[in-house]
Amino acid sequence: MMSRRPDWDVIVELIPAGTRVLDLGCGNGELLARLLVRKSVFARGVEHDEANVRACVARGLSVRQGDIEEGLADFADGSWDYAILSQTLGCLQRPLPVLAEMLRVARFGIVSFSNAGHWRARWRAATGRGAGTELASGLPLARSITLAQFRAATARQGIEIKEWLHWSGTRRIQAWPAWRARTTIGLLRRR
Amino acid sequence: MSSVQIQTVAPEMRLQGGAALGPVDLAYETYGRLNERKDNAILICHALSGDAHVAAHPEVPGQRPGWWEAAVGPGKAFDTDRYFVVCSNVLGSCYGSTGPASIDPRTGRPYGLSFPIVTVADMVEAQRRLLDALGIEKLLAVAGGSLGGMQALQWSVAYPERVRSAIVLAATASSSAQSIALNELARQAIYADANWDRGSYYGRIPPHAGLALARMVGHVTYLSEASMKAKFGRRLRHREDYGFGFAPEFQIETYLQHQGHRFTERFDANALLYVTKAIDYFDLAYGRANLAEAFRDVAAHFLVVSFSSDWLYPPAQSKELVRALLQNDVDATYVEVRSDYGHDAFLLEIERLAGLTRDFLAQTAEKRFQARRRRQSAFAQGAGI
Repeated sequence: MMSRRPDWDVIVELIPAGTRVLDLGCGNGELLARLLVRKSVFARGVEHDEANVRACVARGLSVRQGDIEEGLADFADGSWDYAILSQTLGCLQRPLPVLAEMLRVARFGIVSFSNAGHWRARWRAATGRGAGTELASGLPLARSITLAQFRAATARQGIEIKEWLHWSGTRRIQAWPAWRARTTIGLLRRR
Repeated sequence: MSSVQIQTVAPEMRLQGGAALGPVDLAYETYGRLNERKDNAILICHALSGDAHVAAHPEVPGQRPGWWEAAVGPGKAFDTDRYFVVCSNVLGSCYGSTGPASIDPRTGRPYGLSFPIVTVADMVEAQRRLLDALGIEKLLAVAGGSLGGMQALQWSVAYPERVRSAIVLAATASSSAQSIALNELARQAIYADANWDRGSYYGRIPPHAGLALARMVGHVTYLSEASMKAKFGRRLRHREDYGFGFAPEFQIETYLQHQGHRFTERFDANALLYVTKAIDYFDLAYGRANLAEAFRDVAAHFLVVSFSSDWLYPPAQSKELVRALLQNDVDATYVEVRSDYGHDAFLLEIERLAGLTRDFLAQTAEKRFQARRRRQSAFAQGAGI
């Protein structure tokens, strides 16, 4: 099944059936809905946008509206099997505490983000067009995260990257991911 | 049933405060039909000054609209073609249920201040007896805003096995100091009226000035700075320029006076004292280590909605409630609706509430009722990775 968000298919594959899954920044609930259908998970979400929360309720999902930081604090230690942060890490005010928090409430974390070290991004930066979102793009403020940054940050937090999968579109990238991966998905756990 | 009915729910009821009260009557109205499996009943709980008439009965032409007319009826959020809706007037109020204006059978005269203090738990206990009388064992949902939301919360805690879902709008699990303060202002306004006469004004001139002032205080707490600015601003009524005097001239002044006056035509001053007191005593953490402990045995799933400009029960209080629910792994959805309507938004933002409520009720109707929640993870059950 081709999807608008290739990382979702990978995340769905990574998660065992019947587990408890918390999606942080779950948007309109599309990923959780897929997980429900394909893996019969026990699904919940945290989402800050009211319209998205409504869309989730319309799908039959239970969602706590609010910021991820504030939402995470509501959950007890180890109350989830998986906490997902898909394409959200770069938009967080304080990403590192959130990584720590998600591994407080869940045994495993799944984090996906766009690789800012992809050769096109490097070329763009090298030719003077800057890194990250463009001034005139109208997109919200977001960090540009490279694989090396992610490795260093997780190591410093005492987080192990148990599996790390790289993709370019729907193509799996094995060699030179730091240059060739567009999307990367890490399965994390506390060391 | 097409109009208000009275049910004697108990010859005598022991109240939370220790006093005995009897007989206890509740006024109620019902809408739609209870299905054969008796699993489509929804209890709607009203706020401070509401009554059992939540909506007009479509089969009765010319009936006055109810207090939640836009939300209850055929095809509406609480769709009476699908659900059997029950709404009762709370214990202690003055719309047919037993309250301070009712006749005390021991004296043959209105109770007045000899009426015992009632709490939200007592209100819910009386409703429970009413549902028993109606043959309703399980509620598909219990829903309400403000004091109505407190009743919904109390229901889910007191009778976890009878409530499949709770819709809690613009409410709190514990009355805050600010809300107690505002209620006390309203009560002091009534006490200060000489006509109140320690509540024994029945048959004489009631404390209209005190009750009107109490309502004005209350009414301000239901609005917001933004809604008052939009609705009234600094506009004058019947004048082009300032009168430089004390006669009410700003539109907000005349509006409040009008609201206060109208309220005296429909509400009993003592009932306002009793119902506000019940709100003040409401605290689900009472007698427990913390709020989370209150929800330990809750089996219902929740829709909790707050409104961004509600300063009477602000979103932070709903979030506190949601945190206590989530810590117990209760199935809870929380929505903060952006609205300028203040506390009154739960009565006014019907369009936006309707979709949420409809989807949530559909979800509830689908979910099989689970007496106990899924606490155990797949890992704990040995599924492994």
